[in-house]
Amino acid sequence: MNVEDMNEGMSEFERQVRQLLNDSVERMPAAVRSQLTQARYAALATRPFWQRSLVRHWAPAGAAAVLAVLLLVAPRGEHPAVSPIASAMPEDMELLADSDALQLGNDQDLDADFYEWAAGEAQGAAAPSLGT
Amino acid sequence: MQAFATLPSQTADLLPLGNVRLRDTTQDGARALESFLAGVERKGFRIAQIALRHEADALDAVQDAMMQLAHRYASRPPQEWKPLFYRILENRIRDMQRRRIVRQRVMAWIPWHGEDDEAGDALEQAPDNAPQPAVQVESDEMMRALEQALSQLPGRQRQAFLLRNFEGLDVQETALAMKCSQGSVKTHYFRALQALRAKLGDFRP
Repeated sequence: MNVEDMNEGMSEFERQVRQLLNDSVERMPAAVRSQLTQARYAALATRPFWQRSLVRHWAPAGAAAVLAVLLLVAPRGEHPAVSPIASAMPEDMELLADSDALQLGNDQDLDADFYEWAAGEAQGAAAPSLGT
Repeated sequence: MQAFATLPSQTADLLPLGNVRLRDTTQDGARALESFLAGVERKGFRIAQIALRHEADALDAVQDAMMQLAHRYASRPPQEWKPLFYRILENRIRDMQRRRIVRQRVMAWIPWHGEDDEAGDALEQAPDNAPQPAVQVESDEMMRALEQALSQLPGRQRQAFLLRNFEGLDVQETALAMKCSQGSVKTHYFRALQALRAKLGDFRP
């Protein structure tokens, strides 16, 4: 609302009061004006940091970026089912790579003979020999 | 506060369009607030001074109001600042008046209380004996009479009158600042006007 609009609806008395009050502002002592200026700067310095800087504008974008990274890096809630074969794979690979396992394969024929003899002995023990 | 939501918002015009725009917006906001405070500080001080009749207290009240506005409400749309500022200022004025009444009551019970604290700087309060033009003297006398009459008004009437007549707020803004209805503002203003006319009958500025 400008001065003309304000004055339009006013009586002469109101206009005079208004004029007197405005004059008192114009004639305000320099010391008071200076103190008011200092008070204004002090007030402006109390503005919160986020309002004074670009942080205010970049904060939502930064938060969104951090959230996106967290979603990508963090482990998912649903873990895929691991098959027993897949879980045993490392152990099998170790056995195959082991040099002792190769030796075991080479002695396989001897072990077969041993087991054949042991089986025969067991049967012989079960049926008492007539010759002795 | 709810009524503030009905005020048209200009913040949509300040939405960021790019980095440069962002920087401009932040600086514009600071500049707008500084410009606003520079525009209201003197009238705010005079309003506080008339109510409190004490220069240092009036300065404190204005500074507190500016700080609170900058700290809490700087992010609000600029068209809300003026009613907010004057609402905060009036609250500070009332706080100071209450505190003063309590202090006076307490001091009245203490026989040895020194009145020097209240008296202020004698040099500052000494009348200026320098010769002044007759018009100036007359104007000062009228101002003193007006201040006296205004300070004797009930708080709500004084507030309504100064915000409407002196600060130039419209009825809606005054109602927001006073946290009352527009009808109440008109009533307070009318009663203040009647009282001032009655007291300053031969008042001819």
